[in-house]
Amino acid sequence: MIKLSAISKNYQTDKVQTRALDNINLQVQAGEFVSIMGPSGCGKSTLLNIIGLLDRPASGQIEINGQLLGKYSDSQVAKLRNQTFGFIFQSFHLINELRVIDNVELPLLYRKMPAAERRAKAKAALEKVGLTARMEHFPNQLSGGQQQRVAIARAMVGEPQILLADEPTGNLDSQMGAEVMSQLLALNQAGTTIVMVTHNEQEAKHSNRIVRVFDGQLVQ
Amino acid sequence: MLKNYLLIAWRIALQRKLFTVINLLCISLTLLVLLVLTALLENTFAPTGVEGKSPRMLQIVTMVSLNEEKGNFRHGPLGYKVITDYIKPLPSAELVAAVSMPESASVYQQGRITDLLLRRADAAYWQILDFEVLDGRVPTAEDVAAGRFVLVLNQSTATQLFGKQSAVGQQLNVGGQQFTVIGVVADVLQLNSFADMWAPVSTYPSSDYQHQLWGNFSALILARSAADFPALRQELATAVAGFKFDDPLKWQEAKIWADSKLEFFARMLLQNQTEPESGAASLLLLISLLMLLFMLLPALNLVNLNTGRMMERSTEIGVRKAFGASRQQLIGQFLVENLLLCCVGGLLGLAMAAGTLELIEQSGVIPYLQVEINLTVFALGMVISMVFGLLSGIIPAWRIAKLDPVHALKGARR
Ligand SMILES: Nc1ncnc2c1ncn2[C@@H]1O[C@H](COP(=O)(O)OP(=O)(O)O)[C@@H](O)[C@H]1O
Ligand SMILES: [Mg+2]
Repeated sequence: MIKLSAISKNYQTDKVQTRALDNINLQVQAGEFVSIMGPSGCGKSTLLNIIGLLDRPASGQIEINGQLLGKYSDSQVAKLRNQTFGFIFQSFHLINELRVIDNVELPLLYRKMPAAERRAKAKAALEKVGLTARMEHFPNQLSGGQQQRVAIARAMVGEPQILLADEPTGNLDSQMGAEVMSQLLALNQAGTTIVMVTHNEQEAKHSNRIVRVFDGQLVQ
Repeated sequence: MLKNYLLIAWRIALQRKLFTVINLLCISLTLLVLLVLTALLENTFAPTGVEGKSPRMLQIVTMVSLNEEKGNFRHGPLGYKVITDYIKPLPSAELVAAVSMPESASVYQQGRITDLLLRRADAAYWQILDFEVLDGRVPTAEDVAAGRFVLVLNQSTATQLFGKQSAVGQQLNVGGQQFTVIGVVADVLQLNSFADMWAPVSTYPSSDYQHQLWGNFSALILARSAADFPALRQELATAVAGFKFDDPLKWQEAKIWADSKLEFFARMLLQNQTEPESGAASLLLLISLLMLLFMLLPALNLVNLNTGRMMERSTEIGVRKAFGASRQQLIGQFLVENLLLCCVGGLLGLAMAAGTLELIEQSGVIPYLQVEINLTVFALGMVISMVFGLLSGIIPAWRIAKLDPVHALKGARR
């Protein structure tokens, strides 16, 4: 489903060049739940962002569903992000000016879909994460755990094949973290492929496979 | 999609009240001042209504008498004789009118004395200017030729003197002379038509004015079209070259310029009394520059505000991109947001300008003022605020939208 070949990524800051990723080869099969682990600053987020087309590698190739990503146009990449991937960020990244329901609806805005259908789907997604009652609230009126559940609803509303989560429980206390984890597991059970970055060995144990990164390289 | 954009714009505007209010104020206040200013300027330079023939009309308000050797200089209104001898005969003039400057006159009425402004005019004056006659009539050539003591009042004066009664037919003592009111015209504030009362020029107590080179008159020259202006000025120059002073030892040379309204004001402001060039171009340039400068401040403020706001919204842009917004769609969204803000601000400015002008007219700060909003200037102001809105909203949005989503999410600094 996802195939990364010889992916490298550098960051240039002032005079220092950081090699964030170094010759990464990785495959993720459909339906898998993969955890990415490693010390802080080793390149986990960079790797996840490159998988999700939020960032571009310096070199290497990405294949998604057997399609090699070459020189894709902006609108083609946008379509891929919209239909194939769903994202969950450590710091939620909800839009504070928009109500919860509008936040959840956001990915559907970029599809051709009637407003009523969008609304219905967003409601259904919020129901799954148990936040229907908070639909009309603004994100900053919710707790961290609730915000992350909104983010999960947003990531899932478009029924993407692959869910990418970057330390989804990183900003949450253990109880809220457990709630979020159980929802991710439920999604995986329902057939969604998940790639998750985590620091938590306990959480990683729930996944099918753990990929360890050290200093920009994969370690087995 | 447009409905969506509008909805988002609306929500964002509501959520960001302070930003929205500042932005709206910036646009609407700028437009307000711009519109009020141009309305006043236009009323002065290119009026409609009474002096609606201004585009093919020139006026001579003053003349300069010179003797450079002796250092003699005199600058003032024309004598009636200058108009009859040198200006009325100009071949390219369709019609020439002589009218006195408004002179203060005491009106005695039922034991009350009121000081009012009186103009005395010849018959052509009433043909060149299109007064709106509300009641009765204006003087005819016969009235003027026969020296009839007939009087025209403007509406405010008629009401002031006679209240609800009809003024027409009433007797009025003006400066010791007994007049009959024959007409009432609408109030007006303009260079040649501003006054409270009008009487025929022939009602002066003495006929001396007919022989004076220096007096209290202006000349209005109506050409067949503006195209005749150069010929008219040429003829005037020729006529003035042969100007005969009563005292040729003391005075050698006369300088008389036929000016459009803009040229007249430019000449006055820039003190170009002795050269043919009025400096109208410089005045226009100055006014335009001042207006531009005036627009620039809020515009730069707006650009600053918008750019900062866009940087704040870089996370939003990142999120939208991550969930499938293309660059085009993002630009569309911000375009709609900006245009919406501009339109609302523009309409607000328009309404405020209309209100302000109405207020100025009614308050009587400027007597008899009647102005209209110039829709061209409104459109121009809208275009300018949109350009600035777009520059300040769309360019940063475009730059951020070009980034890969991660960088936008982290908050774009570069
Ligand atoms: N935008 C950036 N500019 C410069 N360096 C960066 C940037 N993003 C990440 N890095 C560097 O790349 C390396 C990997 O970062 P990251 O993928 O965020 O690590 P992790 O998520 O594993 O903590 C780190 O050394 C980090 O400092
Ligand atoms: Mg990270």
